[in-house]
Amino acid sequence: MSGILVVAEQLDGELCDVSGELIGAANAIKTGVGGPLQVLVIGKTAKDLAAKVNLDGVDEILTVQTESDHFDPLVYEEIICKAGSDARPSVILIGHTASGLAYGAAVSARLGSGFASDVFILSMDGDELVATRSAYGNKLEMELGFSGKGVVLLTLRGATFVPPETEGSAKITPVEVDLAALEGLSTHVEYQEAPPSDIDIAKADFILSVGRGIQDKDNLPRFSSLANKLGATFGCSRPIVDSGWLPKPHQVGQSGKVASNCQLYFALGISGAVQHLFGMKHVDTIIAVNTDPGAPIFNVATYGTTVDLFELTDALERHFN
Amino acid sequence: METRELFWSLSTWSVVVFYVFGLAAMAFFAWGCWRHYAKYRRGTSPANAINLAAGIRRMLADLVTHRTLVRRDHYAGFAHTGIFFGFVIAAIGTATITLEYDIIKPLFGVQFWRGNFYLLFSLILDLGHLALTVGIIMMMVRRAAFKLAKLDYLRAYRGETVLRQQAKAWRIEDWIFLSLLLLIEISGFVQEAVRLLMDKPEWAAWSPIGLALANVLAALGMSEATAAAIRGANWWIHGVLALAFTAAIPWYKAKHMIAAVGSLATRAEKPLARLPNEEEAKASAGIADISQFSWKDMLNFDACTKCGRCHEACPARATGFPLSPRDLILDLRTHNNTAQGRPDQAVQLIGDVIEPETLWSCRTCGACQEICPVGIEHPAMIVQMRRQLVERGDMDPLLQATLDTIASTGNSFGENARKRPVWTRELDFAVKDIRTEAADSLWFVGDYASFDPRNQTVSRAFASLLKLARVDFALLHEGERNSGNDVRRVGEEGLYETLVESNLDAMTGVKPFSRIITTDPHSYNTIRNEYPEFGAIAPIEHYSSILADLLSTGRLKVTKPLSKKVTFHDPCHLGRLNGGYDAPRRVLEVIGCEIVEMPRNRDNSFCCGAGGGRIWIPDPPGIEKPSENRMHEAAGLDGIDIFVTCCPKDLTMFEDARKTSGHESEFVVQDIAELVAEAVELDALSLKDMPSMAERLIDAVATRIAEVVAARLDEVLALKLDGLAGATPATAPLVAPPEVPGASPAPQPAMPEPAAPTPEPEAERAPVEDAPPPVDTAALPALAPMDWDNLAPVQPAGFADYQAPEKTGLRILVTVKHVAKLGDEYEFTTDGTDVAGEYLEHDLNEWDDAALEQALLLIEANGGGEVIAVSVGPEEAEKSLRKVLAKGADRAVRVWDERLRTADPVTVARAVAGIATAEQPDLILTGAQSSDHAHGSTGTALARILGLPHGSVIAAVEWDGQQSMTVTRELEGGTRHVLRMPAPAVLAIQTGTNTPRYATMRMIKQAKKKPLEVLDGADLVDSSGGYRIRRMYTPVQEKAKMLEGSAEEVAAQIAALIREKRGD
Repeated sequence: MSGILVVAEQLDGELCDVSGELIGAANAIKTGVGGPLQVLVIGKTAKDLAAKVNLDGVDEILTVQTESDHFDPLVYEEIICKAGSDARPSVILIGHTASGLAYGAAVSARLGSGFASDVFILSMDGDELVATRSAYGNKLEMELGFSGKGVVLLTLRGATFVPPETEGSAKITPVEVDLAALEGLSTHVEYQEAPPSDIDIAKADFILSVGRGIQDKDNLPRFSSLANKLGATFGCSRPIVDSGWLPKPHQVGQSGKVASNCQLYFALGISGAVQHLFGMKHVDTIIAVNTDPGAPIFNVATYGTTVDLFELTDALERHFN
Repeated sequence: METRELFWSLSTWSVVVFYVFGLAAMAFFAWGCWRHYAKYRRGTSPANAINLAAGIRRMLADLVTHRTLVRRDHYAGFAHTGIFFGFVIAAIGTATITLEYDIIKPLFGVQFWRGNFYLLFSLILDLGHLALTVGIIMMMVRRAAFKLAKLDYLRAYRGETVLRQQAKAWRIEDWIFLSLLLLIEISGFVQEAVRLLMDKPEWAAWSPIGLALANVLAALGMSEATAAAIRGANWWIHGVLALAFTAAIPWYKAKHMIAAVGSLATRAEKPLARLPNEEEAKASAGIADISQFSWKDMLNFDACTKCGRCHEACPARATGFPLSPRDLILDLRTHNNTAQGRPDQAVQLIGDVIEPETLWSCRTCGACQEICPVGIEHPAMIVQMRRQLVERGDMDPLLQATLDTIASTGNSFGENARKRPVWTRELDFAVKDIRTEAADSLWFVGDYASFDPRNQTVSRAFASLLKLARVDFALLHEGERNSGNDVRRVGEEGLYETLVESNLDAMTGVKPFSRIITTDPHSYNTIRNEYPEFGAIAPIEHYSSILADLLSTGRLKVTKPLSKKVTFHDPCHLGRLNGGYDAPRRVLEVIGCEIVEMPRNRDNSFCCGAGGGRIWIPDPPGIEKPSENRMHEAAGLDGIDIFVTCCPKDLTMFEDARKTSGHESEFVVQDIAELVAEAVELDALSLKDMPSMAERLIDAVATRIAEVVAARLDEVLALKLDGLAGATPATAPLVAPPEVPGASPAPQPAMPEPAAPTPEPEAERAPVEDAPPPVDTAALPALAPMDWDNLAPVQPAGFADYQAPEKTGLRILVTVKHVAKLGDEYEFTTDGTDVAGEYLEHDLNEWDDAALEQALLLIEANGGGEVIAVSVGPEEAEKSLRKVLAKGADRAVRVWDERLRTADPVTVARAVAGIATAEQPDLILTGAQSSDHAHGSTGTALARILGLPHGSVIAAVEWDGQQSMTVTRELEGGTRHVLRMPAPAVLAIQTGTNTPRYATMRMIKQAKKKPLEVLDGADLVDSSGGYRIRRMYTPVQEKAKMLEGSAEEVAAQIAALIREKRGD
């Protein structure tokens, strides 16, 4: 027996990018693990979304219609376990996202399956599935095996695997799952969109971003003024937003915005946590300034320097005056 | 017989009335004094013992010489000398008359106030009163006409534009004090004049001032009758004024006449160099209420005369920070006038009386206490109030983070301890490790000199100089910790004590050494003055005096005198705090520098702004930094080449300030060791080929002979040159160096170690493994057949012996991970599945800290309950558990077995589930992830094992302790998802939603009393874990192309890149 089950992710009726990426990752190990490749779509609009995950390599799309598109981890968990016991896959792939984090490990614990999170390389070593993830603050990598596990559930890092480009020809099978037992357990209240802002990280082609290295809120004006002079959009990493120094729309990264159209990314005092890299590592030219030569940001940067960022800022200011 | 009549023409009734007045005045005076005394009695005992005998001697010397008043204000010093000695003479005079008239004469019928004694008495008193009068008038002119900034009570540094009510009262008080004294003096001289005019005694010349005034009055045509009328009325004016003055002394400014004497006599021996210790048993740290000040502090408050010298000297005030030492003391005094040394619940000492920002502005440079003429010790008070602020967590976030960093890594740079000696690698020779080799000198390097790249070059220069001079030295290598000097001055006393104990531990049980040396004045200060209170320690010497010594004895020979014009900055901790003013100046002279002193030098040196932990608190932009102020001062000198420092923090501060203050092109900032290296042409010498021990011995003998010959030659030459004028060449070594303050006795020459091995070049470090260890595929069983029928849910671990205490209220369980931080250098374990433990440093996981804070906030909001911290980790993880217990958790449980070192999140969740099953908490909070492996899965797995609902990446929780709660999840892109879910549940908390409180080291130590149970986790290791680590490795990364050069050069390259990319 073999098989891969991919759990598609959607937010309030919109399919998330990670869904296609999961299918791409599944295709890469499909030969080793063995088919079929099934994609599970859950939600009120499951049938509509099914068409969007009908990508090359997908053999079957299982749709489970629920009363609403609002995310509820218990609903996902229940459906995966029920649908899984019919499909009996040996590998289950889920996005390493705020939602995936909420049920991935729970499904695994319920099944007693093999489990790893935030995986960014999938490969086969003979018959064994091998997953690679980061260790020690993104500085090292560890290779994991799952010997003795009949089923392995993995959450995969977003913006890492490449989705298939062509459409597939999967059959779509509606599946009924009885969720009566979960009724009344959790209630959706609302989605709060990030407040609108004139900062649009997703559209910016040149971003100057600051991180913890700027040390103090009072230093912000020096960098925002430099961004202004350079004609760059002013971005930042998560700790800056966490400290309340800048509002959320400035944040680049997983819980902020992805710099999708950026051509030049100038990172000042950012060490390069995975969450931040998520939002910018694809950018064509990255210039990174950080006093720690071992900072992970230098692994994705095109150019790097360890000079004092305040001195550098002052000097640049003079260049563009 | 020469004398004069007392109570002239007064009726008995009048005399009685006068005596009643007099006694009333004295009673009022005594009552005032008693009130003060009673107030001081309410104060605590000074933490450091006071040597009263020495204090009194020092006080008397200071009073007689008036040296504390004359310094830096000759005018005021001169005027006060007149007032002081005039007043003392007047007081002695009055006392003498009282002694005779009221005591000796009525009791024994003896009179001595007559004859020659009377004449001399008259003369001295007349002159004394003249001095007093002149002094008062000078002071009045100074106040009225000089417009001195230091006498302005307007708190412009706080943005005040109108004088506060209190300050207006101070002004009035100042004038009343002077005017009253002046009126007494004038009426006194008038009284004397009219008496002389009427009585015309033949000895009138012995009262020259009175006589002169009498002559003037006579010349103006004053009749005897007028004189008599004036004599009668003026007697009462003079008498009543004098009695009023006496009665009022304890009640206003005049009280300094008594309080200052007490204050001067009770000065601490080294008030800032050795800070007061903190009582272990105190309920809360430092000083939080006026009643917690010592009687000596309260005496200090009363002694203040508002002279403003501290106000003028303070670097924080001078650069516009919200601190004036004068106003701090005045505010404390005003508050204590009301509180009278009693606890005051209505007014918050820190907050209402003194602002936290005022306390944080201090750089503990000691300029205020150093110039205070009445011996007030401001910094120690400030530090004690800071201790309270630190305990409250009321401090700059960066400072809090730095203290956390020092607590976990032992240095303020957050570097792995193993990196401490890395700066020595670029040296041509190996540096001894005191743990394995004995040495004459142990070099305590300090954080900045070890880790800061600019200062590392200085450290290497000094190391090379030592090598060249054949000083036998060693380092503690990674055994060294931050010395704690600044940590203590920040107010983190518990952490300071821990650092001291750690350093003392590191220095004991190593190979022998005879002295400690350092380039860091901060480390120098605390090791010299404070460490001895914790245990025996070798004497310490600052490198400035070592260099002076090596140059003067010829062990370092100047071959290229620098011929530079330099100015020298006295580090606060070397100069003001330890008197090391001369050694660095001697060094500069010997290497051929011309020293141009800045206006503020030696004891008036102007702090760089880094002290007291301020180097860890960012200065707000837009405000001038003390270091920039200092740069302007240096730039004002006549064309200096070099601004010389001898303190790592100074070098850092001034290197920055030179650029930001716009003086980059005018002079350079250099460390004294770098200049010495240049003067002895260190670069041209190869230290690698330093002679071996045998050669060294021969060389030593030769040097000795040379010295003897040279000394003899010097004598001969000196005789020959005697008549010739002209300066000695700049390179001439000093023959007999004067005693260097703070220097230990001349170091013993290093004993030649028997069969000492020649130092081996440092062993090549094994390169970090890049290639993965071979995977033994044969050992891996093939993927088991897929079998959905045999799947089994993961079960909680069973801890049969674990008994949870009975629940009495809400119970929240928080998971805590002691996360690992990887340094730049590491090696893998032999099986290749993890990094070897010694390369990792650990600390409390940031996300768990946020989860704990959330738990504490929920408990507080719901009116109580308990928080239980659970950790799966080795004994070392108790460090993090103690921290969370200190922050407010009630109990802790730790589960461990060595085989859990590489445990996966599912196994960890099973362990926590086992505890949770026993504890039955109402809510479980975990961090959303850990900073080391970032699985982000433990909470979710835990929820399922326990059969509980779960929320991940939770940014907000609203819960009243009942069955339902509202939580907010954080999604990608900044969207938030609000939902209601049932309790109990497991929530994984995101950071940034709260500010975790700070646990001082003292709180952490006290938390040792809280229960911490350790459970055996051996049963956890089975096949239910989620994964098995095949190998861990360093990824081969396409590294960025590193741009090299100065900031300016790199900026040019980046500017070009940006222009190119923008298509300019």
